[in-house]
Amino acid sequence: MANMELKNEAAANANGIKYKKNKEDRINIFITVLVILGAMLVLFPIFWMIRTSFMTNLEINTYPPALFPKKWLFSNYPEAMKTFKFLLYLKNTLSIVIPAIAGVIVTSCFAAYAFARLDFKFKSFWFSLVIGSMLMPGAITIIPIFIMWSKLGFTNSYVPLIVPAFLGGGAFNIFLIRQFMMTIPKELDEAATIDGAGHLQIIFGILLPLLKPVLISVGLFTFILYWNDLLGPVIYVNDQDKQTISQGLATFKGGFGTNWKSLMAASCLASVPAVILYLFGQKYFIEGIVLTGLKS
Amino acid sequence: MRITKSHKDNIVAYLCLSPAILGLLFLTIIPIIGVIGISFTNWSGLAEPTFVRFDNYVNIFTEDFFFYKSALVTVYFAFGAVITSIIYAFFISIMLNQRIPARGIIRSIYFIPYIIPVVATNVVWSWLYDCNFGAFNFVINSLGFDKSLFLQGEKTVVPSLILIAVWSTGNLIVIFLAGIQNVPRAYLEAVEIDGGNTWHKFRHVTVPMMTPIIFFNFLMSMINNLQVFVPAQALTKGGPNDSSLFLVYLIYREGFMKNNFGYACAISLVFFVFIAALTGFIFKTSDKWLFYEGK
Repeated sequence: MANMELKNEAAANANGIKYKKNKEDRINIFITVLVILGAMLVLFPIFWMIRTSFMTNLEINTYPPALFPKKWLFSNYPEAMKTFKFLLYLKNTLSIVIPAIAGVIVTSCFAAYAFARLDFKFKSFWFSLVIGSMLMPGAITIIPIFIMWSKLGFTNSYVPLIVPAFLGGGAFNIFLIRQFMMTIPKELDEAATIDGAGHLQIIFGILLPLLKPVLISVGLFTFILYWNDLLGPVIYVNDQDKQTISQGLATFKGGFGTNWKSLMAASCLASVPAVILYLFGQKYFIEGIVLTGLKS
Repeated sequence: MRITKSHKDNIVAYLCLSPAILGLLFLTIIPIIGVIGISFTNWSGLAEPTFVRFDNYVNIFTEDFFFYKSALVTVYFAFGAVITSIIYAFFISIMLNQRIPARGIIRSIYFIPYIIPVVATNVVWSWLYDCNFGAFNFVINSLGFDKSLFLQGEKTVVPSLILIAVWSTGNLIVIFLAGIQNVPRAYLEAVEIDGGNTWHKFRHVTVPMMTPIIFFNFLMSMINNLQVFVPAQALTKGGPNDSSLFLVYLIYREGFMKNNFGYACAISLVFFVFIAALTGFIFKTSDKWLFYEGK
């Protein structure tokens, strides 16, 4: 009798699990459909940009609009590049972005190392100050900082855009790298210390390779930040030939207001380097962000 | 005297921190003092500055009608963009964390708008918003509604810019996704054992465990969005009729186009005090809805 009951119960349980599984499957299908529809909506502006960049002006201004160009007009690109000097802007932007990424990674690694691995006086004070500086709205101080750089004679140059990257590297980056470093066992550095390694050897020899995912995330965030920056270049860079990609595109939009095919071609060009870089770094991206302890 | 290990650690630590400390000093603390100082002058950057006491502040609050409008549209934009994009990013990341096919690719798709340079994004959307031949007005028209002015309408410009901002919030999605992965499996399983369903897990485990990250995203994107500049500079030039005259654009215009350094600094300081007060307020209310593990 008791045996029977047990069996029944087991069967009921199995049924329950099956029912639950079915329900979960249905929820998952629903979510999948929703997410794919959403993804199509998200992609639409990008599709529209690409499609417009290959059209003639006549096609663009046709009503109702066509989804695809009749003939893919690649000549829009060289035409746009006559005014939107993509290669020059690319060179200019990279000569800001590359040193900036190097500066951010090196200086925020050093700061993160101090916070994650060393004991020193006023540690919690400095940590809260650095974390607190994340809340500082940077646009507030553009005028005194501009005056400082112009007194030093660095207007119309990239110096005011690059140097800040070497001064701290951004509080959020320090925080992310510190969080990631805390997950690396301390025994590794202790073993290295016994073998006679100094702090620099520990940072560059042991920690840096293990930090790869978070450094790629930080590098990508920094890249996007500098690639997007418009306020900085608009304040500090005056020469047409020194403009960055974002600045060049904004100028192009200002001058050629509604020449949509050239504007879309220029926008495509401006997006390509960032998208390529993302595709390379993407694998590490989410695992690089360790947020445990965000609460403090 | 021997240098002890803790002494040496102190020296090494301060060497490691020296770039960050220099940055705090020269790019934050001294400039803030500078903003305060300059705001009491009529400095144009060329002639010697004269001390004008509180004139700039009196001006801001009594004569300058740009300032009120500017503050209003900035707050409108920031709150609209932050609330909408937090809700959007949160639900998208919850869904992207489920067992769905091709999850990696779909995640990347939602993240791509963040990768597209902001200026390009704004230019592309301004084409979608175009009054005559834009895609959106075509859709609206086909559905039988009247065409919208979007960026050219006083009432529609800020909502249109908010939609652009929401579209590009891939970074919030990444941070939420990272946070969801830290929700302990054991808690979710505990709900399951107690007979809870997906909704219970979501409501009683995921959401409470995520509140610190929601808080962080809310605060950071509030501070970022209050400093909105690109759409005003690249698309609207503050218009139409000052409806998108965001504060940073106003500061830029006063400071760098009209060379009113003193006045621009006074606006900066008022803005700074506002952001600081808002941040303090957000922190104060956070006790009521933040959930800390082990509390």
